[in-house]
Amino acid sequence: MGLSRRDFIKACAAAAAFAAAGVTTARPEWAEAAEDGITWGKAPCRYCGVGCSVLVGVKGGRIVSTKGDPAGPVNKGLNCIKGYFLSKALYGKDRLTTPLIRKGNRMVEASWDEALDLIAAQYKKAIAEHGPDSVALYGSGQWTIQEGYVASKLMKGGIGTNNLEPNARLCMASAVVAFMNTFGSDEPMGCYDDLDLGDTYVLWGANMAEAHPVLFSRLIDNKLKHPKVKLIDIATRRTRTTKMADEFIAIKPHGDLAALNAIIHVILRDKLYDEAFVAKHVSFKRGKENAPYGLKDKEAFNETPADVKNLTFEEYKALMKPYTPQWAQKVSGIPAAKIEELARVYGDKSRKVNSLWTMGVNQHSRGVWVNNLIYNLHLLTGKICKPGENPLSLTGQPSACGTAREVGTFAHRLPADMVVMNEAHRKKAAGIWGIPAEKIPAKVGLHTVEMFRAIDRGELKCVWIQCTNPFQSLPNLNRVRKAAQSRKAFIVVSDIYPTRSTELADVVLPSASWVEKEGVFGNTERRTQQWFKMVNAPGKAREDVWQLIEFAKRMGHGALFPYPEKGMHRAIFEEYRKFTLGTGKDLAPYGVYAKVRGLRWPVKANGTETRWRYTEADDEHVAKGEGIKFYKAPNNKVSVWFRPYEPPAEVPDRNYPFWFCTGRLLEHWHTGTMTGRVPELRRAVSQATVELHPEDAKRLGIRNRDQVRITSRRGSIVLTAEIGGRGTPERGSVFTTFFDEKKLVNEICIDAFDPLSKEPDFKKCAVKVQKA
Amino acid sequence: MTKERDDSGISRRRFLKEGALAPFALALAAAGGGTVYLRPGEAHGFVLRPPGAIVARRFLAACVRCGKCAQACPYHSIRLQDRGVGIGTPYIAARHTPCYLCPDLPCVKACPSGALDQKTTEVEKVRMGTAQIVDREGCLSIRGLRCEVCYRQCPLIDQAITLEPRHNPRTGEHTIMEPVVHREKCVGCGVCENACVLPKPVIVVRETVEVQRDSYDF
Ligand code: SF4
Ligand code: SF4
Ligand code: SF4
Ligand code: SF4
Repeated sequence: MGLSRRDFIKACAAAAAFAAAGVTTARPEWAEAAEDGITWGKAPCRYCGVGCSVLVGVKGGRIVSTKGDPAGPVNKGLNCIKGYFLSKALYGKDRLTTPLIRKGNRMVEASWDEALDLIAAQYKKAIAEHGPDSVALYGSGQWTIQEGYVASKLMKGGIGTNNLEPNARLCMASAVVAFMNTFGSDEPMGCYDDLDLGDTYVLWGANMAEAHPVLFSRLIDNKLKHPKVKLIDIATRRTRTTKMADEFIAIKPHGDLAALNAIIHVILRDKLYDEAFVAKHVSFKRGKENAPYGLKDKEAFNETPADVKNLTFEEYKALMKPYTPQWAQKVSGIPAAKIEELARVYGDKSRKVNSLWTMGVNQHSRGVWVNNLIYNLHLLTGKICKPGENPLSLTGQPSACGTAREVGTFAHRLPADMVVMNEAHRKKAAGIWGIPAEKIPAKVGLHTVEMFRAIDRGELKCVWIQCTNPFQSLPNLNRVRKAAQSRKAFIVVSDIYPTRSTELADVVLPSASWVEKEGVFGNTERRTQQWFKMVNAPGKAREDVWQLIEFAKRMGHGALFPYPEKGMHRAIFEEYRKFTLGTGKDLAPYGVYAKVRGLRWPVKANGTETRWRYTEADDEHVAKGEGIKFYKAPNNKVSVWFRPYEPPAEVPDRNYPFWFCTGRLLEHWHTGTMTGRVPELRRAVSQATVELHPEDAKRLGIRNRDQVRITSRRGSIVLTAEIGGRGTPERGSVFTTFFDEKKLVNEICIDAFDPLSKEPDFKKCAVKVQKA
Repeated sequence: MTKERDDSGISRRRFLKEGALAPFALALAAAGGGTVYLRPGEAHGFVLRPPGAIVARRFLAACVRCGKCAQACPYHSIRLQDRGVGIGTPYIAARHTPCYLCPDLPCVKACPSGALDQKTTEVEKVRMGTAQIVDREGCLSIRGLRCEVCYRQCPLIDQAITLEPRHNPRTGEHTIMEPVVHREKCVGCGVCENACVLPKPVIVVRETVEVQRDSYDF
C-alpha cells in the first residue's frame, strides 16, 4: 500500500465508506515497500495492556513514523497520544549504547565480554558461597514472551532458584491469585467484544479514560449507539472517566471490601441469584482470615488447602447476614439505598452486566479478596461466560498477561498455569526443558517486595533487573534505594535509557527495545501479537534474550538454549508453545502469528481464536451440550469465597490526616523513561502534580499551582498543587502520579501488601499535607 | 551543578561526561530545553496581552512600557516586545510560556498605568483572547485518536473546553472525543496552545470575537 499520511487519512475515510457498502479493502501486510521509501511493518504498541496494533514505518534504518493499524481488531487504526508518538520513544538523545561498569563512583565503558564475565563471576561467587537462592532476576510485564521464557528456564531450570519476579507483581498479582483460586486458570473468560455487546458497566476503581485510552473510546461508542447502556463509576476520585459515566459513586478508600459484601448480602437476601447456575457450577469456600499486611520482613502467610473450609450455600448465606447495606454505608461511604440499587443492577435479568477493574482493586492490601468478591457477584447471578456479560480484569502492561502470567515469570509459577510447588508440574516442565525434575526447586522464591528487602538485609547478593525501573516504582522507596546505595548487593540493570535504577547499578547493560528485536506480547483479552525486528539497536545495545543466553553460557547453562541464531525467536516460542497445548491455553504455531494481528487463545484446532472461554458456544474444550463448563476448576466447580471485611494497613490519624493515592495518567507510560524522551509528551505534562479536593485546599490555604509538601511516615516530597484539573479526589484524599523521575512519590507509599498475592497497596496510606 | 551529587556520590557533571547516565529531566536541562520542534500558532496578527489588558487600540496608548507586569509574573510568561512600533509593550508568547492564571493576578496588580484593568480581580473573568481549533482536519482528537491534551491541561477544564463525544464512522466502534472551546468561559490563557502536541498548534488563541446577538436562546 505504502501511503503518505495524507493518503492514509483519505484511505481510511474511503475504507469506512467501503465497509458500509460491505467491501473489504486491501490492508497493508507486513513490510511492504512504499513509494516514498518507507517500509511498513506490523507490531503491537510498546506501551499499555490495551494492545493496539500499529504500523511501523522504517526508512534508512530508522523508525520514521508509526500509525494505528487499520487491520488491528482492537484499535482499527487508532491510537492514544502515547502510541501516536511511538516513533520517537526510542530516539532520545541519551540512549544507552555501551555496557558500563562501576569503578568506585564512576561508570566506565566496557565491552560485552567484560560486563558479562563480571556478572557471571559475581553470580558464581554468590552461588558458591551462599547457594542459588542468594541471586535473583527481576523482569517485567514488558518483556516479550521469549524474554520471559528464557529467563524462567535459566533461573528455574538452570541456576536452580525461583528468585524470578516480574514487575507485574506490582500490578496484576492480585488478579492472578483470584483467577487461580476461583476458576483454576489465569486470565479472563471474556474479551473486548463484551465492551460492544453489554449494556451495563460497573467500574471498580478503574480510570479507563486515561489508563486504557483506546478501549475506553470503544466502550463509550457502545453507550453512544445504545441508549440503554449505563456506565457506573465507583471510585475514590473523580476522573475523566467519571465525566463520561452515567453515574459516579464515591467510595472511601478500602470501602470496596464492605460495599461488595453488602451487595452480595442484598442479592442473597432478596434471592436475586441464579439458583440453577449456582447449583450447577459453584462451590462455596471460606479461607484463612485475620491476615497480616506484610509490613514485617519475612512475614509468612499462606492459604493452603488445609486452611480452606468448604461451605454449603446455607452456611454461606448465614455468614453473609451481618454485611447489611446499613453497615456498609458506614464503612464505604456509599449510601445503603445505593448499595441496594447496585444489587438490583447486578441481579436484573434484563441487563447484561460487566464489571471492569484495574489497580484500584489489585493494588490493595486485600486485593485478592476484592477480586473474589467481584467474581462472586457474577457467579451468583450467572452473568458470566456470555457475550456481553462478564467480569473483565483490565491489564496495565503490554505483556503482563502474555509474559508474566502465561509464561509464568513469578517466584511460584511455571508456564501455562503451573506452579513450582506441584511435583507433576515440575516434572512436566523438566520434561520439556530436557532436565531432571529435581533441578527445578519446589521452594517458592522471593516475591518482589521481599526480594528488595532481602537486599537490604544483606541476604540477596546479586540481582539483575531487566526492562523495568524498580528504584522508582517500588513502595517504601527510601529503604530499597538506601540498600542499593550502600552497595549491599551486586546490581545489574538492563535498560535503554539512564533511569533512577541505572544510577544505582554496578553494571548497566544497553538493551534493544520493541522493534529493534523480534518478539511477542499478550494483552488483556488473551490476544497474542507478534512482530519482527525492523531496525538495529543503537551502538552496542543488544536484546535481553541475547544478554540472558550469553550469561547462561558463562554460567554453564548454555546447553539449555540450543536455538539457532537465525529463527531463534521462533524456536523459543515453539518450545514454549508445547506447555500450552491441550491445556485450554493453546497457542498457534509461530508462523500464524507472523501473519495475523494477534489471536485470542485458546486457539482452536482449525486455527481460529476463542472469544469466550468455558462456553460450548465458543470454547473447543467444552463439548456440545455441556453449556458452560469451568473445566479448569476442581470438579468443574468455581469457588465463591466468603471474604470478610478487614481494615487497611494504615489509616489517616491526627498526625497524618489524609489518604494518599498514586496512579497513572494518559500522557506518560509508567516511570516515564520512554515517554519522558518524547518532547511533545514531556511538554504536555512535564511534572507530577498533587490533586486536592477544593475544600481541603481552601482549608489549608493552598491555591492552584502552590507548592505542597506531602509527608508520610516513610518520606516527604514537594509537589505542585492541581485543583479542579483532570482529577479531583474525594475530601480527605490527595492523589499523584508516579511517572516523574524527579519526584520519587513512592518514597511516600507504604510497603504493605496483600498477604495472598504479595501485591503492594500503592493506593492508600496516611499523609500530612502542608503548604510548602 | 558541578557540586551537585547524585545518590551514588557521583558528581552530576562527571556522570554526564563519563556515562551519560543522568536521568532524562537532567539530561534535557543540560541539553538546553530541547524545544526546537516548537512552532508558533497562526493568530492572524493578534498579539496576546497580559490578563486584564484593555482593548488593543487603547492598550498601546495606555501602557507606559515599564515592564512591571513582566517582573511580577512568577513564570516569566510576560515578555516585552523588542522591536517595532510596540517596542517595550508586554505580550505573551503562549507557545513558549502561557499564562498560568495566578489566583491573585500579580501582573495586573503591578500595572501602574491602567493598561491592565485594575477591576480584573477574578481569573475566570479574564479575557485575553479566545482559543479556537484552527485546523479541524489536523486535530488528532477530531481524527479519532485519544489525544485531548489541550482539554486536560486547560485550567478551566469542562468549562472553557469540553469534550463532545460522537460515533467514529471510520472504525465503526470507537468514539471521537472532540475538544470544543466555549467562548463565554475561555479566558485566553494559551495553556492549550502551549500544550498542543502537533508541531504547529491546531488550537490557537485569537482575538475574542464579538458575540452577535439575535433572539434565539439556544
Ligand atoms: S498506549 Fe495503549 S491505548 Fe495507547 S496506543 Fe498504545 S496500546 Fe493503544
Ligand atoms: S496571571 Fe500569573 S502567570 Fe498569568 S501573566 Fe499574570 S503573573 Fe503571569
Ligand atoms: S485559552 Fe485554552 S487553556 Fe486557556 S482557558 Fe481558553 S481553552 Fe482553556
Ligand atoms: S492537543 Fe492539539 S491535537 Fe490534541 S486534541 Fe488538542 S488541539 Fe487536537
